Amino acid sequence: MQGLPRYGPTTAFPSGPASPASGEIRADVRWYRQPRVRKMGALLGIYVIMIAVAAIVIFPVYWMFSISLKLPKEIYRMPSLVPDNPTWANYRTLIEKKDYLTNIRNSIIVSSSVTVVSLLISSFAAYSIVRFRYRFRGLVGRIILLTYLTPGSLLFIPLSIIVAKLHLGNSLYGLVILYLTFSIPLSTWLLSGYFRSVPADLEEQAMVDGTSQLGALFRILLPLSLPGLAAVAIFTFTAAWNELLFALIFITSEEKRTVPLGLQYLMTGDVLLWGPIMAGATLAALPVMLLYFIAQRFMVRGVTAGSVKG
Amino acid sequence: MSAIAEPTTTATTTPTPQPPNAAQPRGLGRLSLANRQALTGYLLALPALALLLGLVAYPFFFAIWIAFTDRIVGRAGHWVGFDNFRYLFNNPSFLKTVQNTIIMVVVSDAAKLVIGLGLAMLLNQAVVGRGLMRALIMIPWAMPGFIAFLVWRLLYQPIGGGINLILTQTGIHPEVIDWLGQKSTALPAVIVATVWRGFPFWAISFLAALQGIPEDLYEAAKVDGASGWQRFWDITIPQIRPVILIVALMSSIWTANSFENIWIMTQGGPSDATMVFPVLAYFGMQTQRLGEAAAVSVSMIPALLILVFLVTALIKDDD
Repeated sequence: MQGLPRYGPTTAFPSGPASPASGEIRADVRWYRQPRVRKMGALLGIYVIMIAVAAIVIFPVYWMFSISLKLPKEIYRMPSLVPDNPTWANYRTLIEKKDYLTNIRNSIIVSSSVTVVSLLISSFAAYSIVRFRYRFRGLVGRIILLTYLTPGSLLFIPLSIIVAKLHLGNSLYGLVILYLTFSIPLSTWLLSGYFRSVPADLEEQAMVDGTSQLGALFRILLPLSLPGLAAVAIFTFTAAWNELLFALIFITSEEKRTVPLGLQYLMTGDVLLWGPIMAGATLAALPVMLLYFIAQRFMVRGVTAGSVKG
Repeated sequence: MSAIAEPTTTATTTPTPQPPNAAQPRGLGRLSLANRQALTGYLLALPALALLLGLVAYPFFFAIWIAFTDRIVGRAGHWVGFDNFRYLFNNPSFLKTVQNTIIMVVVSDAAKLVIGLGLAMLLNQAVVGRGLMRALIMIPWAMPGFIAFLVWRLLYQPIGGGINLILTQTGIHPEVIDWLGQKSTALPAVIVATVWRGFPFWAISFLAALQGIPEDLYEAAKVDGASGWQRFWDITIPQIRPVILIVALMSSIWTANSFENIWIMTQGGPSDATMVFPVLAYFGMQTQRLGEAAAVSVSMIPALLILVFLVTALIKDDD
């Protein structure tokens, strides 16, 4: 208990009257200072704050869904909190007239490809950093951290020139490669945290039994890091699913638009079609949010692993 | 994207896997064991490194080079020294961008710190419903960023927007406000939406940090007669300070460079009231004058470097 601040004379027992057990009624203090009342007051305060926070967090999501069920007439002329005549018409418009399913298909292709490729490359890199010893290992770790901290908004102008030279523009394939620039640092970073928490004994044992080093990665380390892998996969998938800036710059033809791009192009003109836009938002948000909630526990652990260790 | 993870460079000596039967010199086997180790290590890291050096490190320095040329789309241009920067520093849009970015980072960090820490402390207590609450505050973070900001743009609308509807119907403010459309409210409105989207990451990181503080520290302080405030300032804050610093620094980097929040809600308007670096650079790129556009991004590198340096130093100390 060293380094603990001291408060006044350090006796094991505080001076003054012994504090009463909670709930006991004391005659010498006013009613609102009674321990029980204060405790109830604090509890009440906590619940008021919790309800307020819950409302602030939920309301935008509710609004998104409720507008998606409204026709323009209801959105603009008689605004209300609850839709009077809920309709799926916006969803139908979106899918039949705006070709939203193509956007979704493109996003699924790009996001899952990024996830698979990124997990593979990052597993190798993290395995190398955590289990191998070589001269520039520290530097490799640094490079990955630095690239993780380099914002994409700094890179898009030079990337536009590079992408044009490599003929990667306006293709989903090119988008996958570009997305690896932010997903690999993130995945490697997270995975090396998970790998480090797995004791090396098992791999060593397997290698003594004749497994190769790659075999140890695939048969021992990765299966043991499965929760971590799942969390990283979800992180990567959603990060790619949500990306707007690169898609906006590098995708030029309509049939290759991803979901963020499709929604962004619905927002043209003076009067925005909020009904279909929110229908699209609901469709795009639901799968991702569901994934997040399923993996919530692992996610929180993954996110805070480094900053909060020990 | 928001995540902090374990530092990749630790001083701990990881036990080296010993390949079996090392005495069969065949292929790689001709190298010494340590060399073989090193070679495999490099090979495994190679794909990641090649990609990151080629598509992050190289563009980073390329951007700096472009910023000192008069490059336009389709023509490489010539070295013009600091001309682009001189032009920018006399440009009112750019000055407004610097100002907006500083305000956004400072105000939203402060708000997220207060809200995040407050909520974390609240959820760290044994109250009924905290499990549900913990799941609920994940919502803004789980929501894709561009959708969150799309919804906030709708919420702020004069007609059809939920905020104006509530304000007018409850009589708090009977007149409709065009939150994103007028200069005085646009930046605060954008900051509120950004804080809404960003606070869960802070709260969750802080909550995990709070749960790592040994309970007996508080017990001992209580025995010594420390008040709630004293316990907060002398135990809670020092114990979670590294987490606060890392989260704040990373969040500053992301906030200063976030494109989608501004792009979706205001595109920098009205009249540059919410203009930020990435959006200004994007507009610059659309005018084809790549030199000036690159100079916009590059001019924030010094500030970025300071933040990055602090993060890496902190993470190193953490080991």
